[in-house]
Amino acid sequence: MEVEAAKLLAAGLCMGIGAVGSGIGEGIVGGRALEAMARNPKVSDKIFTNMIIAIALAESTAIYALVISLIILFVF
Amino acid sequence: MAEIPTIKLAPDVITDIGPFAITNAHMGTFLVSIIIILAALYIRKGAGVKPTKAQVAFEMLMDFIMQKMVIAFGDKKTAKKFFPLIFTIFLFLLVANQFAYLPLVESIVTEDGIKLFRTPASHYSLPIAYTIFIVFLSHILALFIHPIRHIGNFIKIDQLWKIRKLSDIPMAFLNIFLGLLDIIGEVAKLASLSTRLFGNVFAGGVIIIIISGISTYTQFLAPIPFLILGTLAGFVQAFVFAMLSILYISSALNAVRKPQSI
Repeated sequence: MEVEAAKLLAAGLCMGIGAVGSGIGEGIVGGRALEAMARNPKVSDKIFTNMIIAIALAESTAIYALVISLIILFVF
Repeated sequence: MAEIPTIKLAPDVITDIGPFAITNAHMGTFLVSIIIILAALYIRKGAGVKPTKAQVAFEMLMDFIMQKMVIAFGDKKTAKKFFPLIFTIFLFLLVANQFAYLPLVESIVTEDGIKLFRTPASHYSLPIAYTIFIVFLSHILALFIHPIRHIGNFIKIDQLWKIRKLSDIPMAFLNIFLGLLDIIGEVAKLASLSTRLFGNVFAGGVIIIIISGISTYTQFLAPIPFLILGTLAGFVQAFVFAMLSILYISSALNAVRKPQSI
């Protein structure tokens, strides 16, 4: 395999596999937050800010994968 | 097919002043600072007992962060001490993260065809500088308040003195090992906090460049959803960065101030 082809494959696989976990995680966070909001609409503002923090935390693995694939594509 | 512009991780150098290279990320940082200073002067000019519209909006923002800080630090006095630091970082990132999506700002080029401004956080130096500052500040402050207790939080030799009977031994060694793991956690904080900000902001810019670069037809309507998403991500990342800095500083301080319950 040529180096260029291997680079493209590596970047695509890295991003694709890396996004799986954080996708599941964000889905769980969002779903549970909506459940909680529906059950108790008065505190929905508080839940919303906490949900955003939790989503950003769950997102981080996908962001690491993204940074790695960007480095593979543009630096090497 | 239109040409997709080149995407670079390193910023372009505009001029050199002495040994320092002035890059377009620097220029972006200066522009953000100027915008914040002008906004501050404008809000200060109209401020009074009868508030202006801008003042109300700004005070709401301050109250919002202040509430979170009081909850995290536990008392209002300490929260007020750290408020200027956290709020400066928050305001800076709030303005800076919108750079990639504002029209005009990234379209200004110099004679050599280099962009004059670049989103500051899309250069890794800015996130890593903020993160190093926050993490080291939390450790240094904790060391000043109670050095022995702060080091004891990581190297838990005191667990050995707590062994009363034979069955306590595995638990004590587990606690010592967990303390050592926390040291790795502190190093991981540096990577995670900075990479989160950098990755989000850089990726937001890259997505828009690629979408609008695919063909001539995708330059007008197609990037709009991504612009909205990017704007939202910019706000959220500024907020999350501020929240996590509060969390890191307050958890280091709270662990030192109160005696350990276990």
